[in-house]
Amino acid sequence: MDDKIEVVRSEALDAIAAAQSMDELQQVRIQYLGKKGSIQALMGVMKSLSKEEKPAFGQKVNLCKQEVTDAVAQRQKQLEAKELAARLVEEKIDITLPGDNITTGSMHPLFMIQQQLEDLFIGMGYKVAEGPELEQDHYNFELANIPKDHPARDMQDTFYVDPNTLLRTHTTAMQMRELEKAKGQTPIKLICPGKVYRRDDDDATHSHQFMQCEGLVVGENVTLADLKGTLEFMANRMFGEGRTIRFRPSYFPFTEPSVEVDVSCPFCNGKGCSVCKGSGWIEILGAGMVHPHVLEMNGFDSEKCSGFAFGVGLERVAMLKYGIDDIRNFYTNDLRFLKNFDRFD
Amino acid sequence: MRLSYKWLGEYVDLSGITPEELAERMTTAGLEVEGIEPMAQGTKLVIGEVMECEDIPDTHLHATKTRIGDGPEDLKDIVCGAPNCRKGLKVIVAQVGAELPGGVISAKPVRGHSSNGMLCSLNELGVDKKYLEQKQIDGIEELPADAPVGETDVLGYLGLDDTILDVSLTPNRADCSSMWNMAKEVGAILHREVKWPDYEGQADIGEEGGFKVASETEGCTCFYGKVVNHVKVGPSPKWMVDYLHAAGMNSINNVVDISNYVMLETGQPLHYYNLAKLPAREITVKDDIHMTMTALDGVEFEIQPGDLVITTGGEPTGIAGIMGGEESMIDESTTAIFIEAARFNHVNVRRTSIRLNLITEAAQRFTKGLEPLSMAKAVDRSVMLLKEYADASGFEKTVIAGDPSYEPRVVKETLTHCNTLLGTEFTMDQVKEVLTWLDFKPEISGDEITCHIPSYRTDIERPADIDEEVIRLIGFDSLKGTLPYMAATVGRLSPAQTGRRTIRETLRSYGLREIVTYTLVSQDYIDNAYQPSGEAVALAMPMSEARKYIRTSLINSVLECVQYNEAHQNTDACLFEISKVYGGQAEQERLAIVLDGNLIEDRLHNIHAKGDFYAMKAIIMEMLHKLGFAGGRIQIKENSTDTEHFHPYRSAEVYMDRKLLGVFGEVHPAYAAKFDLGRVVYAEFVIDSLFETKPGKLRFEAIDRYPSVSRDIALVVQSDVTAEKIMNVIHKTGRKLVRKMEVFDVYEGEHVAEGYKSVALRIVYQAADHTLKDEEISQMHASILDALSKQLKAQLRA
Repeated sequence: MDDKIEVVRSEALDAIAAAQSMDELQQVRIQYLGKKGSIQALMGVMKSLSKEEKPAFGQKVNLCKQEVTDAVAQRQKQLEAKELAARLVEEKIDITLPGDNITTGSMHPLFMIQQQLEDLFIGMGYKVAEGPELEQDHYNFELANIPKDHPARDMQDTFYVDPNTLLRTHTTAMQMRELEKAKGQTPIKLICPGKVYRRDDDDATHSHQFMQCEGLVVGENVTLADLKGTLEFMANRMFGEGRTIRFRPSYFPFTEPSVEVDVSCPFCNGKGCSVCKGSGWIEILGAGMVHPHVLEMNGFDSEKCSGFAFGVGLERVAMLKYGIDDIRNFYTNDLRFLKNFDRFD
Repeated sequence: MRLSYKWLGEYVDLSGITPEELAERMTTAGLEVEGIEPMAQGTKLVIGEVMECEDIPDTHLHATKTRIGDGPEDLKDIVCGAPNCRKGLKVIVAQVGAELPGGVISAKPVRGHSSNGMLCSLNELGVDKKYLEQKQIDGIEELPADAPVGETDVLGYLGLDDTILDVSLTPNRADCSSMWNMAKEVGAILHREVKWPDYEGQADIGEEGGFKVASETEGCTCFYGKVVNHVKVGPSPKWMVDYLHAAGMNSINNVVDISNYVMLETGQPLHYYNLAKLPAREITVKDDIHMTMTALDGVEFEIQPGDLVITTGGEPTGIAGIMGGEESMIDESTTAIFIEAARFNHVNVRRTSIRLNLITEAAQRFTKGLEPLSMAKAVDRSVMLLKEYADASGFEKTVIAGDPSYEPRVVKETLTHCNTLLGTEFTMDQVKEVLTWLDFKPEISGDEITCHIPSYRTDIERPADIDEEVIRLIGFDSLKGTLPYMAATVGRLSPAQTGRRTIRETLRSYGLREIVTYTLVSQDYIDNAYQPSGEAVALAMPMSEARKYIRTSLINSVLECVQYNEAHQNTDACLFEISKVYGGQAEQERLAIVLDGNLIEDRLHNIHAKGDFYAMKAIIMEMLHKLGFAGGRIQIKENSTDTEHFHPYRSAEVYMDRKLLGVFGEVHPAYAAKFDLGRVVYAEFVIDSLFETKPGKLRFEAIDRYPSVSRDIALVVQSDVTAEKIMNVIHKTGRKLVRKMEVFDVYEGEHVAEGYKSVALRIVYQAADHTLKDEEISQMHASILDALSKQLKAQLRA
């Protein structure tokens, strides 16, 4: 009888090993372990055995059953693993196909520059001032120490609406409003970004509409050296670490002393290249100490306080920073141009 | 201005300083040199004499033998094409190897004749044509008969061995447009002595002559006049012609040249009259004349009250400070002159010269302002030069109208204040040195510095002006950057600034791109504005019809931008702009959004988001939500505001707190066609109120603890029953248990009767405090269906 068990066991194990799929394995399981299966059939043989033989036989059949059950379970695991592996292979995708065409938009480069400046100066305790674009001559010129018929008015050809109203030619107008509002109280620390307008024919480097950001600090003992330190900080943020700046004497009616500010060329690191025309320096802005007369006209005691002011053209910064060669790009808004600015900077 | 290096050297020793170095030093000190150019250029030049000149047949060429020295090898064969080339002429010879502006001269045969060099015109040496006569341009330069053959310093001989610095003067340094003052400035930069000609008191000669001068206008506060009864008009000395050329002026005759030369030296515009042509021995300046007059160049001008006019014997003879009259012009027949040196108000001169478009050298100088002593200097110097170069005699006593008095200005500064303003640690010695070289004659008393400002430095008025002189001449490189040391201030954005950033960020996250378009627009854009902010503001003097008004809405600028992009094959232009608009003087801030094409278009992965009405609605609602305005505060209504720009049945009004924000929807096809556009969705909102209104607070809403159950229903309703009506009924009826609902299908067509539509919704039931029981839900669901049936005649779809 033991041989019979052995035959069933051996056949079952072979069949299990031979099963190549879960279905086949299921067939094998039913064939041997089912109610009508071969192992159950061996139990039926027990009836013909003697009482003494029964326990030993039964034990052997149970062992056989256990062994076959284990083998099925083990084979099942193998087959599952195999099938999973096969499924994974089948599911292979082409990872080189592009991702979903879901993109975010873009900021206008001028506002990108404006925001960079805002964040930089907010970090240093400046507030961001705003004012009207349709401005009074009083704020745009008179308070800025540019009286009527001052030759400096020729420097900024103006769009007048009537003799007292104009499109502001510089964001200095906002500075004057803020100074007046402060009623002689210091400290004042602000920047004023915005659109400005001048009678210029539009070409690659001129635009009748452009953007500026000016800064103004008034307090006790504010120095020209403070202006330099502040602008050094700005140059490093806008044009990369390691920039140095230099002052050249200049003239603005609302500052004294007045300076033009050059930044060491970020493209050649000051060695001289086509961008800086070999000089190693690029002119980026005008600045100076607030003219004592401007302080006085706005109700400040120029003996007790001093201030600095600076003004930078946002187009100029963006053109330098991003290598834009035509100012009209900013106002044409070609999608191909705008798409360049869909990242952070 | 054009600054002659050679002329400057007459006043200040420039030895050891090249023009390039000078330019660098001047630029560093604030006198920006924008260019350096030699008056003429050429190497291997020599003066020669044409010994033989034969025509080459059938050409315009001449074969010459030109002598350039005494040796046998100095007789050169040179072919020349100039019409004036002839035997016996003294000429400029560029020898083989000479480098001229046009290239290098080589020896090569011409038409079988050997040619070893070139006979030159001044133009070929780089002299600008405007300083040459036509015959000098057409032919070679004809040197005087006594020109020394063999002389190799040809440019020196010609007086063209000069370099011009193109100096850009800032408006405060108009004084430097005088050569004398420029010399003082250069002396201060280089720390070198400056010598002016000994002019002072030269005009203090002559007897009373009875010539009268007067001013009847505040526009002329001072007028110097001097009669010179004998002058001899003739050519100017060569050095003067050279300097005038260097300064960009032409030589006319000795007398006119002296007036120009003195103007260049002193900065004071002068006018010399032909005395014989003055109808009276009298000159009066007036500003109340209305007439037409003919000026020096023959052109007629209309004179209006306010223009300063020179009259003599009651007759106008010139526009003061701008242009003289034709009658009294100096010419070859002039034997006596009247010298005018006056102070005309810069405002009058500026206005007149701009109106008449007469931007003359004199007018520019008056406009930029003159120094108080320039009249006296100019008259003195005129007398000196007229005596020497125009045989002048018969001087009458200088007559003066107005007040010539001048009080030298004194400005005090302290070393402490100077260093405090600049943030420097300059010593008194350093500061004193600068001020001494500037001729400010500083007097030091303890910390205090008293400066006596020279008359020509009208820009120095205050201590800060002294400080600027100190730092610019010591050099800005000495300045170490620091940060302001002051009471702490808080840096932050205003609510409007934060709000704008929120809008930008939200719109950008939907794939929209920000644009900036021009503020100035055409009449058409004003006439077709969307909800104009008020009456359009027009420019007094627009540059063009296209940029005439300040815009009152954004719609046309933005649609124009879409049109541009469509025309350049840039599809799917989904854009926005935030900008101010103006109506009257009132300012408004607006937001424009445009969706042209798709927000998302991905055929590969089959994802599509059309830029349609509903996309725009989602974007706007999300933007308002992000700003903190949601729920009951926002209302969408049918558009009854503007059906000119918008599709009347595919647009809506948006209200916040019952105030109209704006309209959005499809652009009216007729209006879109104006910009060659098809279906395009647009929104324009006034956003000021968004920043002025208090947004809702951000609050955490508890996460549901009990399960929800959802039921789908499909209703058939009449076509005009809106989704909002259905949802309102469900919401009101099921208030407590309806957690949310979602319309997931709307259908009209086959299987739905004409005039009806099918609307499918999913209703989610949930209670905050317990798990809903089946019968609870069924009961509620039934009453909802009942309410829908009663109130909207809605039927469950079979």
